[in-house]
Amino acid sequence: MHAENLIARAREGDSLAQGKLMHAWYKRIYNYGFKFFYDHDMAMEVAQKTFIAMHRNIGGLQDTSRFRSWLYTIAVNFCREELRKKKSAASVSLEDQRPGTRNSMAWQESNHRGDNPERLLRQSELSDLLQGCLKQLSEEQREVVIMKEYEGLKFREIAEALSISENTVKSRMYYGLEALKRMLERKNITKEAIGYEL
Amino acid sequence: MNYKPDEATLVAYHFGELEGEELKKVEAYLQEHPAERKRSEEWRQVRSVMAGLADKEVIAPPLIVGNNERPIWREHYFRMTLGIAASFLVLLVAARLLGLSASISNQELRISFGAPTALEQVLDKAGVTQMIQASLEENNASMQTAWDSRNQKLEASIQKNLAGNSSRINSLVKEASAGQQEQVRQFVGQMQTENLKLMRDYLQLSTTGQKEYLEGLLSDFSRYVQDQRKQDMQYFQANLVNMKENTDQFKKDTEEILTSLMASNRGSRTDNQKSY
Repeated sequence: MHAENLIARAREGDSLAQGKLMHAWYKRIYNYGFKFFYDHDMAMEVAQKTFIAMHRNIGGLQDTSRFRSWLYTIAVNFCREELRKKKSAASVSLEDQRPGTRNSMAWQESNHRGDNPERLLRQSELSDLLQGCLKQLSEEQREVVIMKEYEGLKFREIAEALSISENTVKSRMYYGLEALKRMLERKNITKEAIGYEL
Repeated sequence: MNYKPDEATLVAYHFGELEGEELKKVEAYLQEHPAERKRSEEWRQVRSVMAGLADKEVIAPPLIVGNNERPIWREHYFRMTLGIAASFLVLLVAARLLGLSASISNQELRISFGAPTALEQVLDKAGVTQMIQASLEENNASMQTAWDSRNQKLEASIQKNLAGNSSRINSLVKEASAGQQEQVRQFVGQMQTENLKLMRDYLQLSTTGQKEYLEGLLSDFSRYVQDQRKQDMQYFQANLVNMKENTDQFKKDTEEILTSLMASNRGSRTDNQKSY
């Protein structure tokens, strides 16, 4: 995905290369955070902190081929930090954080202006349902499922990012998939039903 | 086939991160286990449904970073050099204030606070040798004294300990010996009692056995004699019967012979009479 020399230049303090890296990876890290929290503000917070940390610490990155897992390690750590803060602070309703509601930053999100409004509504409802399923997973299973399913990391990279063994990652994935299967069965959501709806 | 892949292997297979022999084994396993195949298909369905959760589009904010071209006085190496120079300067000033002076003359390094003072007395080689000799002699004498005193104390202590311990050891040996004799006596007595009991039991058992054996022998002999007698009697009876039969037959034969003789005599007499 990245030219090795871009990461190498960023490591040497080239701010242009760092900017390019951030533009290339911002969406991924934001979406990781969003799927983890289902909260735009927290996802933005995590993404910004991640790239500030990247800017400060990329000089210490030894192996450029491990940039991806290194970046997700930072993101995971900030997600956990935010989660701790969130648990200690008063809870905020997820309804307020939904796209299109009063607190959402609509200008920063895709509006799919050309799409059919009814289709968008259904897509939004489906996203809510699926996001709800993700949210019900344990924190550990959610991290692994998002990294594997949506970020496309190899099990080895996830293991590096989370500093755990590959077998533990696979085991968490196994139980995560089983839990999602049960949730979807309870909610009666199948591929066919989604295809029909959309 | 006993192979059963674990959870991690199944997941790795499902996500296409398995290769080589392991992949073949899992494929073969799934061929034989429809339930596991079904699970894999269900996961595929789950993943395909979850893929409906699309990415959010987001615009990355501009990365504002400080100017990398820092002035030379903010560079690390410059600050380090400056730090070393400042430390050196502080040392020089402190040395000046304390009147520190250092000089090298006649192969001597002299460091002093204030003006250096001349040495009042210089020791020569003979004086140093004498001092060392005197010190060694003094040391030897003190060591000898200490050694003698320690030896005497040690000797006295050994004598005292020997005197105290020998009587204790004697009494202990006596006690042990008495105890051992008593134990031996008890042991021998116990052994004798046990042997006597064993012998008694053995003899009793032996007598009973012999008695039973003799009784058996006598009864067997009596049975044998009776059987023999019975057989003899039967033989004797058979012989008597046989003899009687023989006698009867002899009688019969004799009678027949006599009868035939008498008949022939009578015939010849008749013939004679006829001839006469």
